[in-house]
Amino acid sequence: MIALDILLDGLFAAVAAIGFGAISDPPMRAFPRIALLAAVGHALRFSMMNYAGVDIASASLCAAMVIGFGSLWLGRGVRCPMTVLYIPALLPMVPGIYAYKTVFSLIMFLQSLNDPGQGMQYMQLFFLNATVSLSVIALLAAGATLPIFVFNHQAFSLTRRRRPGIRNDEPTNPASGPMPESATPHRPQSDDPNTPDHASK
Amino acid sequence: MKTRHELTEILDFIAEYATYLLGSGVHTSRAIRNSQRIGQSLGVDVQLSSFQRSTILTVRDDDSGEALTRVVRIPSLPISFERNSDLSALSWDALDDHLPLAEIRRRYDELTAKPLIDPIFVLLTVGLANASFCRLFGGDWTAMAIVFTSTLVGYAAKQRMQAHGLNHFLIFIISAFMASLCASAALRFDCTAETALATSVLYLVPGVPLINGVIDIVEGHILIGCSRLINALLLIICIAIGLAATLVMVKDSLL
Repeated sequence: MIALDILLDGLFAAVAAIGFGAISDPPMRAFPRIALLAAVGHALRFSMMNYAGVDIASASLCAAMVIGFGSLWLGRGVRCPMTVLYIPALLPMVPGIYAYKTVFSLIMFLQSLNDPGQGMQYMQLFFLNATVSLSVIALLAAGATLPIFVFNHQAFSLTRRRRPGIRNDEPTNPASGPMPESATPHRPQSDDPNTPDHASK
Repeated sequence: MKTRHELTEILDFIAEYATYLLGSGVHTSRAIRNSQRIGQSLGVDVQLSSFQRSTILTVRDDDSGEALTRVVRIPSLPISFERNSDLSALSWDALDDHLPLAEIRRRYDELTAKPLIDPIFVLLTVGLANASFCRLFGGDWTAMAIVFTSTLVGYAAKQRMQAHGLNHFLIFIISAFMASLCASAALRFDCTAETALATSVLYLVPGVPLINGVIDIVEGHILIGCSRLINALLLIICIAIGLAATLVMVKDSLL
């Protein structure tokens, strides 16, 4: 039952990521990997919060870091910069309910100015929810961005077709040096299954 | 050694390339790196600094030491990750294959002319996405169906308003109001109405400027990073205003 809950959570997160990603026009080849990252990230946060008793902020940070490192690892295969994969994958983790409650308690505070007791209660709720929303969003962004700084060399060359050093041991591509332009359209695209994922590590 | 005319051509191309990247939602350091990479492949040094609405860039010929500077406006384009990936890959191709400027320009025109994702497809997937989002927050099936419908209404309205070129703050307010108003229909049913209301506006969350702002700030482009965050914050306030308009109307049934 627990496994089913986690799987369902990942599934809905994947659908959410695909839809929210579609707004920002990602390349079609990136969709499966966006869905995978979102599912893994959200399911991890769900498990941490529900079964390990971790708070939402720390769990979001961990999930965001997993998504960040995952996008570094998966970005090479589809020649996408990390942000293309991880921004849509992070969106299902936006703390929507807290954000909603922030707005709601602000309105209720403004409606209950004549009743200081109730007003205080709503103000307290406002700060509680605003703090949670802001810290979760900040930690999500920071956690996913961390890998860019740790592995900046790899992160900057994800969209590179030819990796440094591959020119010498690539038997199918004997022409070293500048490639003739006519040859470029025939080169395999990045979603070519021959591109080994492990080589990107 | 380049003639002044050649150098101007390179400057104009890189200016167009860099502002296109910045306009379609690429964070600053990537736009700078990509432009410098293209400059390197053409034998010139490129330095640029960017603000929210304009970019200043200088191209300097390595051999002659001649330098040219331009200030370019950043166009407001739809956010496109596909352009981001394609144009970044183009900069690597230019460097690795030593492409001449005419060829880079040809490929650039080809890549930027590619159509965006079909709007109807986006509309439907956004609806499904928001419905799944509702489920993630503990909404039941009725709430999911209501969120799906209200997202379709809100997002379709947003697309129409964008096509007419309405001010984007107004677009966010109206779109959030319409979506949450439709979602308030959930109060009539026996379901998780509060979750439906809360989720109905989340498709508007400006994730790209938020995260780009954080990246820019941590990478030292603090000014433009703050500009992006303030921009995102304004949009979030607009969402809150739209949602608040609905909540004021229905608050009595929520308590």
